[in-house]
Amino acid sequence: MPRTRATAVAVVDLTNCDRCGLCLPLCPPEAIHLDLSDLVVEAETCTGCRKCIAPCPVGALAMVPAA
Amino acid sequence: MRDLDVLVVGAGPAGSVAAWEAKHASPELDVLLIERDRAVGAPVRCAEGVGDAGLREFADPGGAPWVARKITQVIFIAPDDTEVRVAQRDVGWILDRTRFDAYLAALAVAEGVDLQVGVEATGMQRGPGGRWHVRLRGAGAEETVGARVVIGADGVEAMVGRWAGLDTRVPARDMESCAQYVVQGIDVDPDAIYIQWGDRVAPGGYAWVFPKGVGVANVGLGLVALKSDGRNARQYLNEWIARRYPRAARTGYTVGGVIVHTTIRKTYADGVLLAGDAAHMINPLSGGGIVNAMKAGRLAGCTAAAAIRERDTSERRLASYHSTWMKLLGDDHLKYYRIKQALEALSDDFFNGLARTVNKIPQEKRTLGRIFAHALVKHPQLIPVAARFFL
Repeated sequence: MPRTRATAVAVVDLTNCDRCGLCLPLCPPEAIHLDLSDLVVEAETCTGCRKCIAPCPVGALAMVPAA
Repeated sequence: MRDLDVLVVGAGPAGSVAAWEAKHASPELDVLLIERDRAVGAPVRCAEGVGDAGLREFADPGGAPWVARKITQVIFIAPDDTEVRVAQRDVGWILDRTRFDAYLAALAVAEGVDLQVGVEATGMQRGPGGRWHVRLRGAGAEETVGARVVIGADGVEAMVGRWAGLDTRVPARDMESCAQYVVQGIDVDPDAIYIQWGDRVAPGGYAWVFPKGVGVANVGLGLVALKSDGRNARQYLNEWIARRYPRAARTGYTVGGVIVHTTIRKTYADGVLLAGDAAHMINPLSGGGIVNAMKAGRLAGCTAAAAIRERDTSERRLASYHSTWMKLLGDDHLKYYRIKQALEALSDDFFNGLARTVNKIPQEKRTLGRIFAHALVKHPQLIPVAARFFL
């Protein structure tokens, strides 16, 4: 996996996430998937485009500075 | 390794109908239907409304235990709260999706389909002989199965499509972010569905009340986040319920995405068919997808069984699925999408004025067609859209 040059990447708050899957098809590099029903954002694939942030019906996604 | 003829991923309406249809068309086929959740039909991520004619193609709602309510009335609510009651007729049904989905899955099992719940697909690769090798995980165990045809009925996530190299991504403007409560103690007409739109209510979408019984209803909304004021769908819904139904008890909660786009460009690949939400087979105007999913599932199951019988599950053979779907409903969705775009350009003031105008028509004559005709008179720029729709 190529390292992202993004300065910030999306992270999910699993205590708030309802595992509805809405954000998966919104992600241009397909960095989001469900693993055993838990949402995973691959930090190394996320480009920091923010397209998943506002559409989350419960606000469970947020941007954090990239590691 | 277990060698299947057909693997169906996802036991919603599309998947269960597809599995039933494949097995019914060719009883000798080994058909496996898997569902990631521990129960078919739960959690419910749906407002549960369905039209009468479409439903009857698949099941008789009369007295069925999976029906919650018969609906005979539609009430539109303009942005300024003006209510418009449309002329009464047989409109449709509010389902109990937990029971309905289980009913469809049980029909598939009775036909000879193998159903496994709590099992998810985690990836797939092409194997020798044109088969897919699909990794399954469930109950602490992992296995790989072979399948001649994989039917992806896995909803908005659409992972099967992704693994097959199909583009199932959705532009943000075509994703409705939805939140819904099950509400008790609500004073609404239990035979009517209520639809309200408006920039303050649900920008780019609408709010709904779908009664499940007297005093009980699904109350929710969908919005396009790009048009929101920064609040999420749940926050908009909380405000709407607090304003309209302040005494209602919110006893259940769900969220989800509704793709209000058009069918993806390619719904098939070598040994793969996508059906239902996974292929964006949703009416982009209403957001309805249950009957669409069942119709697509029926086509997918039929196509898979015929292709296996002919020993040709190549992309070329499966392409007929896509063209048949487009003729059946996909081309209509393209028209609905254009109407949606035209309606999005109209202001709240327009709808407030239209509501007052059409309320002067006697209720028994206040049909959707007459309401639309009034809209055309007031807004001639809609006429080219209407022409495209009816031509």
